[in-house]
Amino acid sequence: MPKRTDIRKILIIGSGPIVIGQACEFDYSGTQACKALRAEGYTVVLVNSNPATIMTDPEIADRTYIEPLTPSSLEKIVAAERPDAVLPTVGGQTGLNAAVQLAESGVLEKYGVELIGASLRAIKVAEDRLEFKDACRRIGLEVPASVLVGNAKDAMPVAEQLGYPVVIRPSFTLGGSGGSIAYNREEFAEAISYALDCSPVHEALVEESVLGWKEYELEVMRDARDNFVVICSIENFDPMGVHTGDSITVAPAQTLTDKEYQRMRDAAAAVIREVGVETGGSNIQFAVDPATGRMVVIEMNPRVSRSSALASKATGFPIAKIAAKLAVGMLLDEIPNDITRKTPSCFEPTIDYVVVKIPKWQFEKFPGADSTLGTQMKSVGEVMAIGRTFKEALGKGIRSLEAAIWHPPSGPAPAILRERLLVPRPDRIHWIFAALREGMSTEEIHNVSKIDPWFIGQMAEVIALEREMTAAGFAGATREQWLAAKRGGLADEELAEIWRMDTPRVSARRVELGLRPVFKRVDTCAAEFESYTPYLYSTYEEEDEAEVVARPKIMILGSGPNRIGQGIEFDSCCCHAAFALKDEGYETVMVNCNPETVSTDYDTSDRLYFEPLTLEDVLEVIHREQPTGVIVQFGGQTPLNLALDLKAMGAPIIGTAPESIDLAEDRDRFSRLLDGLGIPQPRHGIAHDAEEAVRVAGEIGLPVLVRPSYVLGGRAMVIAYDVETVRSYMTRAAQMVPPRPVLIDKFLERATEVDVDALADGADVVIGGIMEHIEEAGVHSGDSSCVLPPATLKPEVIDRIRECTAQLARALNVVGLMNVQYAIQRDIVYVLEVNPRASRTVPFVSKATGVPLAKVAAKLMAGRKLADLGLPVVRVNGVLELTVRDYSAVKSPVFPFNKFRGVDVILGPEMRSTGEVMGIATSFPQAFAKAQAGAGASLPTSGTVFVSVNDREKPTVVPIAADLASAGFHLIATRGTAAALQAAGIDVETVFKVNEGRPNIVDWIKTGKVHMVINTPLGRESFYDEISIRRAAIRHNLPCITTLAAAHAAAQAIREQQTHTFHVAALQDLHRHRAVAPTTVHAAPEDHPSPRSEHA
Amino acid sequence: MRHIRRVGALRGIVATDGTPPDRLVEEARALPSMAGLELASGVSCRSPYGWSEPSIELSRAAPAADGEGQRRFRVVAYDFGIKRNILRLLVDSGCDVTVVPAATPAEDTLALRPDGVFLSNGPGDPEPVTYAVEAIRKLAGRVPIFGICLGHQLCGLALGGRTFKLKFGHHGSNHPVKDLGTGKVEITAQNHGFAVDPHSLPSSEVEVTHVNLNDGTNEGMRHRSLPLFSVQYHPEASPGPHDARYLFGRFIEMMRAGRP
Repeated sequence: MPKRTDIRKILIIGSGPIVIGQACEFDYSGTQACKALRAEGYTVVLVNSNPATIMTDPEIADRTYIEPLTPSSLEKIVAAERPDAVLPTVGGQTGLNAAVQLAESGVLEKYGVELIGASLRAIKVAEDRLEFKDACRRIGLEVPASVLVGNAKDAMPVAEQLGYPVVIRPSFTLGGSGGSIAYNREEFAEAISYALDCSPVHEALVEESVLGWKEYELEVMRDARDNFVVICSIENFDPMGVHTGDSITVAPAQTLTDKEYQRMRDAAAAVIREVGVETGGSNIQFAVDPATGRMVVIEMNPRVSRSSALASKATGFPIAKIAAKLAVGMLLDEIPNDITRKTPSCFEPTIDYVVVKIPKWQFEKFPGADSTLGTQMKSVGEVMAIGRTFKEALGKGIRSLEAAIWHPPSGPAPAILRERLLVPRPDRIHWIFAALREGMSTEEIHNVSKIDPWFIGQMAEVIALEREMTAAGFAGATREQWLAAKRGGLADEELAEIWRMDTPRVSARRVELGLRPVFKRVDTCAAEFESYTPYLYSTYEEEDEAEVVARPKIMILGSGPNRIGQGIEFDSCCCHAAFALKDEGYETVMVNCNPETVSTDYDTSDRLYFEPLTLEDVLEVIHREQPTGVIVQFGGQTPLNLALDLKAMGAPIIGTAPESIDLAEDRDRFSRLLDGLGIPQPRHGIAHDAEEAVRVAGEIGLPVLVRPSYVLGGRAMVIAYDVETVRSYMTRAAQMVPPRPVLIDKFLERATEVDVDALADGADVVIGGIMEHIEEAGVHSGDSSCVLPPATLKPEVIDRIRECTAQLARALNVVGLMNVQYAIQRDIVYVLEVNPRASRTVPFVSKATGVPLAKVAAKLMAGRKLADLGLPVVRVNGVLELTVRDYSAVKSPVFPFNKFRGVDVILGPEMRSTGEVMGIATSFPQAFAKAQAGAGASLPTSGTVFVSVNDREKPTVVPIAADLASAGFHLIATRGTAAALQAAGIDVETVFKVNEGRPNIVDWIKTGKVHMVINTPLGRESFYDEISIRRAAIRHNLPCITTLAAAHAAAQAIREQQTHTFHVAALQDLHRHRAVAPTTVHAAPEDHPSPRSEHA
Repeated sequence: MRHIRRVGALRGIVATDGTPPDRLVEEARALPSMAGLELASGVSCRSPYGWSEPSIELSRAAPAADGEGQRRFRVVAYDFGIKRNILRLLVDSGCDVTVVPAATPAEDTLALRPDGVFLSNGPGDPEPVTYAVEAIRKLAGRVPIFGICLGHQLCGLALGGRTFKLKFGHHGSNHPVKDLGTGKVEITAQNHGFAVDPHSLPSSEVEVTHVNLNDGTNEGMRHRSLPLFSVQYHPEASPGPHDARYLFGRFIEMMRAGRP
């Protein structure tokens, strides 16, 4: 069937900000879908609020909207673009829900837009747990018994009837949010009320537990002619009870007989047909009782999913791309397989290797969070590893996590060991190894953990190899023993630990024995047909399939698993480097191990190595490829940690020298550099123990910021207003492994923080963007909202920032990107931090300015000069800067607190946000309102506003409060602020502070009586008040405004929302001038644009 | 693997006993080529036997057996190296099966008064299996015939076509085959080194019904006027996907239509 010609323009809705359960896999799938549909001649309109995505690059879609994914904003886009169809299945649950809302609210009908890929009916059947169960029963398949409940009282008898343990699944939440398993009546009572609270429809399913059963997923596709193929089978290492996103998973399924597998395949085909997903990809989950073989259907996603991204990377079959083509009527047998070119996509990939996915958790960032794994996903990222055996893939996967080798204490008490095997937590895999080392039998481990004995048997083989190598010793291990160990996935680093030696010597010995990995191709067909895509993995075998070509090539090191502080932003930079260097005529080589990303799409670079980002693995790729240049500055901290070692081993690192990067992180040397440049920084010191810390804090003066050296995303930082906090921090710091000294900085109260991204070529410097934080100082820059261009900074302050930035770039000899964080206190510009590398804000600045900074930086690193690149710049106060047009861009963070019940919702110097959104509009207030809406905390148009500001700001808040009052808001305030407002003649109700009595302001928020919070920091006295107000506001998704700049913007935006509607704008329109007539660097006149200030 | 992709399937030896490689190469060279080998008679049964075992419960996905009380179909299955799952699925489909040796003459088969004849899979080159080709020529038109794999190739020869050795045989469980009648693709299990040349078949009498999507080779045919059809792949697929099991239903329909 040829593709449809009755539709021309297709809307794709992205998945919004990165949250737990919905990460950059939907950037990968959405980007593929955009490219696939455009290749077929369709016009693609894309909307996503997340600026750090590749899909929102203006060249990916024809029309790109970075707008909130709210019904009103989507309707405006539909009205403006008049698409013929919307493809709802490539933007995750968010994109699907948004499309369903548009359909149900009649918007699609009103504008004559068709849903393609999945019908509304099919989506309903697949998503509604009860309808889905009915559908399965209709076709003779078993499902776990369950009852839907709407209140806790009705739920209790249901649980009693099903028998404990029972599973509780709230309806319509993402990534299993609010779900849990209850083992008894008491647990159930608590769990069910929490689940009902989490569900937007206040419903939850109480379900028969299939805990401990084997868990499987099939990734399937179907086309309009009812052709059906299974792309990949995935087996969960962790049995039922652990969310599949939190399970170690293995592809293909390892422990099914053909009969069992084919039964599952038949069931999957029957399910997709009965549910009625006419075209595209679906994910169907099954559980199998290991004792009886009974198989039940668990659930289905009628769209591309996290697992389909994994399946695509695991097999080389691009599910999202094919799904997009199927949605426009093409058939599987009409679409060629990219990898073989000669065969069609209507086939089932054959895998002659094993793929292991391991989740990455970050419980250390959420003290108090329960690290037990259950039905709700808690991991923030994942790694994938490919090996010829399960053992090899598991070993590669574990080292891809970049966690130091961790061994549970030897000789653990049997009771502890059993508990660690029984209760799934992030470290269970290590405890299984520990149990095997202790001599526990495979059967016993299986009995406790319910993990299939085959997996445990494989792990036992790894331990046997470990023992053999230990016994043989460094000097005695033969080549055969070495080969067996390497094939079993043991890293040089692990052997070094076994032998208590340093890793380089161990690696040198391996090379001396002639043991180097070969590289095999992921080719969908187990080498049956020739593969044209160099998508490679290493293994210790004989034949190498890399087919390396000697030509100028640049290797880009990716950023590994997503984590808080290092996520999609860095992947986006890596992708841009690949795109730009390909344009420059280089062959590009990507190394990364994160299956969610666009960088690990074989389409992104010329050659893709799916490998762990460890020294051993990266050096082997370098050895095989012999690149002319290696880029380490785009992948965040992961490649930077390797930079000095790689350079020492002779890797040709291009761009800013690793020594400069190191210098910027070395406090003492960096301080001396700043002193030399005459740039102030907050007073600081270093301490190794509690006494020293207290003394240093005393010298510097409280409050102080305390943190360990060398951190990313502000791990383990605190602001201390008193000596006690410093002392207790040091007690905890003493437990850190390895022990690191602690850095102590003066905390600049009431400062305004500023982020700057700049480009430099070793001589010239161009400022990419100056971002003013619109969050109180002390909140991690990754967690605060910011605005570009600055909204309130004085011109002379901005000039000083420009000057310092240029000085720093030159002093550090930056070639590529540099990020500087400043704090402005009483008009003095302090440097907080300099990172001569790509930063989290690079994609935001790129989208805001229309200049892809990372692409430019990659070209600079390859030797191009800023002056030759035709950037649209102006020279201000002697410093070149990208021109910003008459619009404003605001970035706002999104937090995962709803995933961690019982965790303190505190924003501080430790980064907690998982993602971000951008609002872009012709004014700061509008951009601010859009960012708020995008982040899920829309500004209210009526209701109650709480105001509490410090004395200094009371005069300034008066006009804002007056504005809100005249806009019809009811105002409430704490005593001091209320007095100031009343004095100005504003009607205001006084409420208690937290410790003044009840009901206090937090009670007000919790009872839903407040719709917006304006609360600027008062300093030490109110520090804890602010924390609890903020916590309550975030829990209730309220806009919580902490600076007057933001308050002013909010008031104005609310006014505008009330009076006239907001406009949506495509990036292609905003940045039209960029593509058409870029001004060259030196052509711009010296001028001084008046900085736009929102406060008079 | 690259070498095989270039030159095609090779003779080979797998050894774990430490024999030196050059000796093994010599031995492999001395092996006869598959082309021209008549292997079916060597693996066939010696004498006829009945089969009544159905498939095991776990994977029963075959077309439903006829209802209670309906007469079952008498099928004679030629054993050229028959897979048991074929027999099981025939039983599931409502057949009483008699398995007969490869060289059973057509007359003996007809004497059993079958409702249909099944021609099984089997090893080697179909061309030397002349006795079977002869039997099929006699049976065609007198009784419904369904052939699989070697059985398909023998039908091809019997209907006047040619067979040839493929550069690469088809092995494994993921071969996409398109049914040219419905346009639908089924994922199939295959295991064969020879194929029917579709251009050699008399198109006035024989219709090509199935084609392999990977290399375009013939995967199935039917006679335009006589009750005979055959497929190159394994619809009984064990191991392998069950997509093609509908073909057993087609055989049943053909037998039902042929009944008085």
